[in-house]
Amino acid sequence: MIQKKICLIGTSGVGKTSLVAKFVHSMFSDKYLTTVGVKIDKKTVSVDGAEVMLMIWDLAGDDDYQRLQTSYLRGTSGYLLVADGTRQITLDQAIEIQGRVVEAAGPLPFLLALNKADLVSQWEIDDARTDDLAARGCKSFKTSAKDGAGVEEAFVELGRMVTQSK
Amino acid sequence: MPDLDRDSPASTVLEALGFAVFVHDESGALRLSGRPPGWLRSIWPDVNAPAAPLPIDQASPFLENFLVDAGECWSAGGDNRARSGAWIEQAADGTELTLEATALSAGGQAILLLERLGEVFEAKKSMLQKARETVIAYQRLNSEMQKKEILLNCISEEMNAALANVITSLRLIESEKNPARIAQLLSLASRATEEQQTLINKVLNVFAAELEGLRGREGTSMAETKLGDALRAAEENVVPQFAEKGVRLSIANNGLGEARVAMDSTHLTRVLSTLLENGLQRAPVGDEVRLNFGEEPESILIQISENGPPFRKDICANLFSRAGTAAIEPQASQLPLQFCRIAIENCQGEIGYESRKEGGNCFWIRLPRLAATK
Repeated sequence: MIQKKICLIGTSGVGKTSLVAKFVHSMFSDKYLTTVGVKIDKKTVSVDGAEVMLMIWDLAGDDDYQRLQTSYLRGTSGYLLVADGTRQITLDQAIEIQGRVVEAAGPLPFLLALNKADLVSQWEIDDARTDDLAARGCKSFKTSAKDGAGVEEAFVELGRMVTQSK
Repeated sequence: MPDLDRDSPASTVLEALGFAVFVHDESGALRLSGRPPGWLRSIWPDVNAPAAPLPIDQASPFLENFLVDAGECWSAGGDNRARSGAWIEQAADGTELTLEATALSAGGQAILLLERLGEVFEAKKSMLQKARETVIAYQRLNSEMQKKEILLNCISEEMNAALANVITSLRLIESEKNPARIAQLLSLASRATEEQQTLINKVLNVFAAELEGLRGREGTSMAETKLGDALRAAEENVVPQFAEKGVRLSIANNGLGEARVAMDSTHLTRVLSTLLENGLQRAPVGDEVRLNFGEEPESILIQISENGPPFRKDICANLFSRAGTAAIEPQASQLPLQFCRIAIENCQGEIGYESRKEGGNCFWIRLPRLAATK
């Protein structure tokens, strides 16, 4: 079976751990518990008929208190860049972090997950912004770790991207 | 450095401190030195005997990754150390253990220390949790303030336009000789002035409610309101408008008027008035707006529905956001939908909208219920 390492990257509080919990364990909790360090989970997905084992590295949020350790990116095939759609600033931060990731690990396949899509009334990221990002090669998914919308799709699509990537 | 004797004081101390010591031998294997702490056995039960190798590639992808940094550290020798940072491993019973690895050279040997992080780490984690919660709260507050600034700007523009109408009308009156034309201009000026007054009152009400809200959150215990009282006040506010348009207001009284909800009465009255006015605007002339209560285990559900044309889909998605406020036709009563959401969410409630299957619209709010006062 093909095995691929993928990382979840983004600033703190955007829902990286919740996305993994939903995708791997079908669980969700409203309570925010900050991640300090790294947690690794595995899940097999079917990509175009082939079984792919995703080794998912949930990295602690990058912020003023903890910076992303680029050594954790070693051997990664791609990454899910996560932002909180109800806090526009987290998208700006995600883009800044992505620049550092490219500097450290080179151009790897990645997807942008705009999380917390269930909080429609608080949504701050307009379509023009995501269209602009898409035009610059940053494909995005609206995800909700709460109701599961877009979660499976985002991981499977990333799985597809990393298996197709040389 | 010779291997630690399992019964030596050093080995016992390291075990008590939660450290596992591994020596990196020439074959590249990591062999246990000394006594293994209990947590090590709970994660890797096979790594128990003296000199047992740690099967890195099967044991931990994280450690496997860290060994690259560790290798560089061991090659450099001297006082160099490499720390892995914290990571989480799951024990056989499902417990999650937070570990940290340190690579160092001692006595000519390459050593890997594995440590289960304890109280100091938990204290650091707790501080990070609080710090990050504060950052998120600050960002949310900042964002709400920016939205309000934009809203205020829009309101100011509308007020300015109304004022310009008044000034223009007055100037034209000055130079006008025809009494009928003067009466017409005076009527225009009067209407523009009333529009402006409505907007000003709206702003004042919204900010008065906000101020009360802040007092409520920071001051005394949670506000509480008898549902029936707030409803009566809201009904009084909107009855003249309903009469003017010829729309009935139908309130289903199912005995929940005595129920108490965790919300300030002024806020609740204002939210209900806004939603009723909103229903009135959508409702066809001669039709009705219905208000129903529903009882849930820990909350009260209030639904306001009418048979008017449904909102466009693009508006529905942002009905309670800044974008929604701008997208809906700029009628005064719809201006505060965003503030309705803020007021309801501030007291741990929920607000929503759905288009009815049988046609029309339904706004709903769900408020935490308070236990009956004895």
